[in-house]
Amino acid sequence: MGANQAHEHAEGGSRLYLIVWGGLLGLTLVEVFLAYVHLPVNTMLVLLMGLSVIKAALIIAYFMHLRFERFNLFLVLVPMWILVTCLLFMFFPDSFRLQEFRFPR
Amino acid sequence: MATIETGGTTTSVWGGGASPFAIPSKKLGMWLFIVSDALTFSALLIAYSYSRVASADWPLPFHFWPSIVVASVMTFCLLSSSVTMVMAVAAAKQGRVGATVNWLLATMLGGVAFIILHANEWRTLIGEGLRPFDNPWGSPLFGATFFTCTGLHMLHVTIGVIVLGVMAIGFKKGRYPADYVEISGLYWHFVDLVWMFIFPLIYLMSVPLEH
Amino acid sequence: MAHAAGAHAVHEAPTGFIRKYIFSLDHKVIGIQYYLLALVAVWVGMILSLYMRLRLAWPTEEFPLVGGVMTPEAYLSLVTMHGTIMVFFVLTTAPQSGFGNYILPIQIGAADMAFPFLNALSFWVTFLSFAVMLAAFFVSGGAPISGWTGYPPLSAVGEVAGPGLGLGQTLWVVSLAIFCGGALLGALNFIATTLDLRAKGMYLMRMPLTVWAWFITAILGLLAFGVLLAAGVLLLMDRVAGTSFFIPGGLVISEQIISHKGGSPLLWQHLFWFFGHPEVYIAILPGMGVVSQILSTFARKPIFGYRAMVYAIMGIGGLGFLVWGHHMFISGMSPYSAIAFSVLTLSIGVPSAIKTFNWLGTLIGGRIRFTTPMLYALGFVSLFVTGGLSGLFLGQPSLDLYLHDTYFVLAHFHMVMGVAAIFGIFAGTYFWFPKMFGRMMNEPLGKLHFWITFIGVYAIFMPMHYIGIAGHPRRYAETSGVEYLGSLQPVHDFISIVAIVTIAAQFIFLFNFFWSLYHGEKASVNPWECTTLEWTVPSPPPHDNFGGHSPVVYHGAYEYNVPGASQDYIMQTSPEKVTH
Repeated sequence: MGANQAHEHAEGGSRLYLIVWGGLLGLTLVEVFLAYVHLPVNTMLVLLMGLSVIKAALIIAYFMHLRFERFNLFLVLVPMWILVTCLLFMFFPDSFRLQEFRFPR
Repeated sequence: MATIETGGTTTSVWGGGASPFAIPSKKLGMWLFIVSDALTFSALLIAYSYSRVASADWPLPFHFWPSIVVASVMTFCLLSSSVTMVMAVAAAKQGRVGATVNWLLATMLGGVAFIILHANEWRTLIGEGLRPFDNPWGSPLFGATFFTCTGLHMLHVTIGVIVLGVMAIGFKKGRYPADYVEISGLYWHFVDLVWMFIFPLIYLMSVPLEH
Repeated sequence: MAHAAGAHAVHEAPTGFIRKYIFSLDHKVIGIQYYLLALVAVWVGMILSLYMRLRLAWPTEEFPLVGGVMTPEAYLSLVTMHGTIMVFFVLTTAPQSGFGNYILPIQIGAADMAFPFLNALSFWVTFLSFAVMLAAFFVSGGAPISGWTGYPPLSAVGEVAGPGLGLGQTLWVVSLAIFCGGALLGALNFIATTLDLRAKGMYLMRMPLTVWAWFITAILGLLAFGVLLAAGVLLLMDRVAGTSFFIPGGLVISEQIISHKGGSPLLWQHLFWFFGHPEVYIAILPGMGVVSQILSTFARKPIFGYRAMVYAIMGIGGLGFLVWGHHMFISGMSPYSAIAFSVLTLSIGVPSAIKTFNWLGTLIGGRIRFTTPMLYALGFVSLFVTGGLSGLFLGQPSLDLYLHDTYFVLAHFHMVMGVAAIFGIFAGTYFWFPKMFGRMMNEPLGKLHFWITFIGVYAIFMPMHYIGIAGHPRRYAETSGVEYLGSLQPVHDFISIVAIVTIAAQFIFLFNFFWSLYHGEKASVNPWECTTLEWTVPSPPPHDNFGGHSPVVYHGAYEYNVPGASQDYIMQTSPEKVTH
């Protein structure tokens, strides 16, 4: 049908979105599964955050359409967003030190 | 400085006279808003992580049933509502008004389901003694961070549902162009995006493992 | 689709007083509204600082309006509100939202901002924020006493810790949260406008440095205010919901045990300064843009090193996000973080120095016209260098251990913010007044205002370096009771007297501003012979700036004294062909 062709041509098609949706659900299940595996906290955190970043990237690229926009839009928005978010991680050394400042119970 | 040319013929998209991104300004505006709101949520989640790292005896009260199951269903609701939103945008671009409104209503339904499940979860936890300033299980900051992060998110979802309702009515009456549906869609996907981080950080990291 | 972006911005000229002057969507009116808000705020802030100086010089005297002798707590509430009002409602408002709103669309050849309704909304949100902030003076307990930085636990535990920390502090937090909303809306408006609404031929590298400054400042605002909003939400939760994000356990205040526990005051400091440092660059960058514009215009020379200037603005803005820890050197934060922050802080000196040397390079060999805006621009350069140099001392943890919370810090930030940025506002006012109001300001009065102010601010803030090094702490209501400070009292007396004179001199500006609105000499289209687009339209410009057609740009913004040209300047819109 003409409508379907317009779908596929312009935006990757509804099939693509359903595939992405399936992928997101699958990744969510993996995350829930991981929560019940006995992993060291740091490993768990890294894995969960890594998976979440992938899910976020899928949503941004496909649902929010950034994959199909001009590359310069991506360049204007995403690098500074990631950079400033990563900068917030500089707070953590102080939280780790706070752990060590506590009186023993 | 290079030689000056007359006539203003430009081959670069940065030469002025048009958007360099070939998108309407309102869409760029929504993206910029999303970047800044994302930073607000990032700061809140970092504050949560900071507080958790710095606290002794952080409680792990989210058992598989009901907490993780319900939170997973909530995740499913939001992810599905994102797909219906994408379908709504596609339909709007093709001018299929009825389909657009239906997909928008489906999206709103996903959002409302999320809110109802979430509010119920809050009610249950409050009934078990969870407060912003205290809880029977461990560090009082657990409740503080939980209610602040999920509360702000729930507020965004609620606003999103209302905005989508306004969009549905306006698009049906022909007052809003398809662009507006797409731009609201960006906001809705952003709200979903934030949940992609709240769910693992606050729920999955608070699972008691001797379950 | 693309041209629709421009079409959205144009709307019919409004009729009726309310639509024209109160709830206008016209960026020019909104710019003036922001400017007037800042003008009211700066006078409130100045009166507060006047009372502070009176208290410091004459601690036992009674003064009107404060109910007798000022208590130390009253002094602290002056300190808090002076800082908050000046930083937020003057320095974040006038240079960016005031001049930026008015001039930016015209300088890029647009008919209005990208989102006129959001523009009006962001003004009224800011107005509401200011009203809420001022309300803190009038509620029971009065204004908060925790400083413009609002450090917890003092700002979080409530009235038990002092006057003003009840409803006053809550209003302060709410006001800032509202302000964040307005600032964010404004920031995204500026960014979208600069990227999307440039006229044909206005390449990014042809934009005047004013536009670059407003653009980069808007990006800083977009990224920084979001974090302040988060911090404000958390502090509000601590105050009204009983949470303990920032309140540690074991506090006993005024003999009462505080029940909060588990929080970290350091978290607030991180969140606040993560915003707070970009904020001070938001305060100064627009002034730098204005100064570049004015120096070039009145030296009749292109700005020296335009590209370097652009990259320097980006560098200052970008590096500004990496250095927030230098406000926290003595907070007990990780010393390894301190090293990183220190190195990055000192490296901001590089783009700043590039800008300074390029300003000097612009002046060398120029045929300088010493108009009032030019004097203020030169004053800016002088003050910025002075203030920046003291920053180099403070950026080193070893020195900051001693200098933190002394008058040395006060001297530093007043030099860069409290004066240099204000001089940027004055420069912009004298420069653009003819365009905005169609009349010239009075030159002799302007020059008188400049000289008294310039000498005055140096006389006020230079001695503060000295007493800071001598060990005088900040936020002390008086020097009596501390033995080693007694010998510094004459310095306080001197500063206070000069401050009174300098504040009085600001009436000259106020008079000049309002008198010239009605009696100033009528301004031509381009009285300063400047090349940028706002000087191609009538003074003041019509509602849609360019009379319905879009200008075409052929040149960069600094074509002065081009060999072979017909005059000593080439307008950006002139099709005149020149090679060089």
